[in-house]
Amino acid sequence: MKTCIITGASQGIGRAAAVRLSNDPSIGNIVLIARNEAGLEATKATMNTAETNVKTIPYDLSDLEGIEALVKGVYEEFGSVDALLNIAGYAAPDALLDTTIDDIEKTFMVNVFSMIVITRECVKYMRNHPSKIVNVASTAGVTPRPGWLTYAASKAAVISMSNTLSSELAEYQIKVYSVSPGRCATELRRKLAPEEDPTTIMQPEHVADVIATLLSDDETCLDGQNLIVRQMPTVKR
Amino acid sequence: MKTGMIILAGGVGKRMGQPTPKQFIILAGKPIIVHVLEKVELLTEVERVVITCPPEHVGKTRTLLAHRNLSGRFCCIEGGETRQESVYKGILELGDCDSIIIHEAVRPFVTTEEFQALIGSEYDNVIYGARIPFTVLAGHDWVEDTLERSSLVNVQLPQKFDAAALLRAHELAREEGRDFTEDGSMVFHYKTGAVRILEGSEKNIKITEPTDLIIGEAIYSEYVLGRTQDS
Repeated sequence: MKTCIITGASQGIGRAAAVRLSNDPSIGNIVLIARNEAGLEATKATMNTAETNVKTIPYDLSDLEGIEALVKGVYEEFGSVDALLNIAGYAAPDALLDTTIDDIEKTFMVNVFSMIVITRECVKYMRNHPSKIVNVASTAGVTPRPGWLTYAASKAAVISMSNTLSSELAEYQIKVYSVSPGRCATELRRKLAPEEDPTTIMQPEHVADVIATLLSDDETCLDGQNLIVRQMPTVKR
Repeated sequence: MKTGMIILAGGVGKRMGQPTPKQFIILAGKPIIVHVLEKVELLTEVERVVITCPPEHVGKTRTLLAHRNLSGRFCCIEGGETRQESVYKGILELGDCDSIIIHEAVRPFVTTEEFQALIGSEYDNVIYGARIPFTVLAGHDWVEDTLERSSLVNVQLPQKFDAAALLRAHELAREEGRDFTEDGSMVFHYKTGAVRILEGSEKNIKITEPTDLIIGEAIYSEYVLGRTQDS
C-alpha cells in the first residue's frame, strides 16, 4: 500500500491533489502537511477517506531541523514513503528595488530550502524501491516575470533541482518531475494577480489531474521533465 | 556460514592530483565509496561490514553511513599504515566469521551479482581475474623477459577467503615482515588455501587516475543506468 506525502496541502493545488489521489486505489496512505491546521482539516473533509488513511500534520516547513523527525515518523507509522508531492509555495511579488532581505529569505526558505530538506529525508526511505517525486514549480521559473523576481527565481531553482535529482536518483528507481502551472486559480495566484477573475483561468483540479497521471504506474517516459500545465484561452472567431 | 566484509578505503588522492581522497570524489552524483556501500547494503548474506580508512577520514565516512541509514551492519575503523595492515585490522575487527569478502572503496562498479557469485561459490578462496588484452613485459629501463599474457590475469576485487586461511596467511606474512599488494597472492604464497579465479569484468575498474573518472561516468551512464545522456 503506497504512502504519499503532500506539502502545501491546506489549499490550492495541494488540496486538489490530495482530493484527487484519495480516489486512487493504489495509494493507501496520504499524509497532508501545511502550517494551517484548519486548512488541513478542510482538505481532509473533502477527501475520500473510506479507503484511504489520511493523516494531517500541521508543520511549518521553514523549521528545517524538525523535518528529519517528521519524515521518520511518517515512515515508522506507515512502513514506506513512496511518493512526495512538494507543493508548498510562497510569493512576495515586488520590484527588485523594493525587495527586502526578509522576502528573499522567506521565499527561498519555503520554495527551495525546505523542499531540498524534505526531499533528502524522504529519499532515505525511498531508496531501492520504485518511488516518485513531483515538485510544483511555475511557468514563472522559465519566462521573465518583472515584479516577481524572488518567486520566479525560486521556481527556476525548483526546476533545476528536479532536473538534477532526476539523474542523481535514477539508480534508486526514484523518478522526479517538475510541474509548472501557468495561471491557476489559487490563493497564491490571487496575491500575484489580484485583479484577475479566478473563474476565467485554469483550476487547481486540472493540475491535480496531471500530478495523478505522473504518479500512476503507467507513466514511464516523462522522468526528469518539466511539464508546463496551462489552459489555453478559448479562441474567439 | 557467517560472512563478513572488509572495505578498504585508505586512499589519500595523491595520484588523482586532488586534495580530496579519491573515495570521496563525486562520481555520477555521489562519493565513489557510496556506490560500493549501496551495493553492499543489498547483500543480506553479509552479517557485518568493516570499513578501514585513515584516522582523519573516519568521521566523514561515518557521516556518509549515517546519511543513508547504514548503521547496524556497517562500522568504520582506523586502518593501518599499509593496505595489508588495514586488512589485518579488519580481520580482527570482524572477529568470529567463517568467510571474509574484501573489496575496495574505489571500485564503484562492482555488481551485487559479482558479490553473490563469490558468496555462492563452492570454493573457499575465490578472486576475480580479468583477461589482459595487451602485451606485458618484465623490466624497467630494459626489457628483461617476455611474459605469456594468456597465462596471466589482471587481479580484481572483490575477493572471498576462508577466514582462518586468510588470518593464517596474514600472521605468516607479519612474522616474515613481508608485504603483499593483495590477499589472493598472499594466501597462495603461504599455501593456506587453494585460490580459485572467476572471470572478472572490464567494467569493474579501479578509480586511480583522473582519466578513470571520465571513463567511470561513461560506465555509470551506459551500464548502471542503461542509458546514454542526452546532450
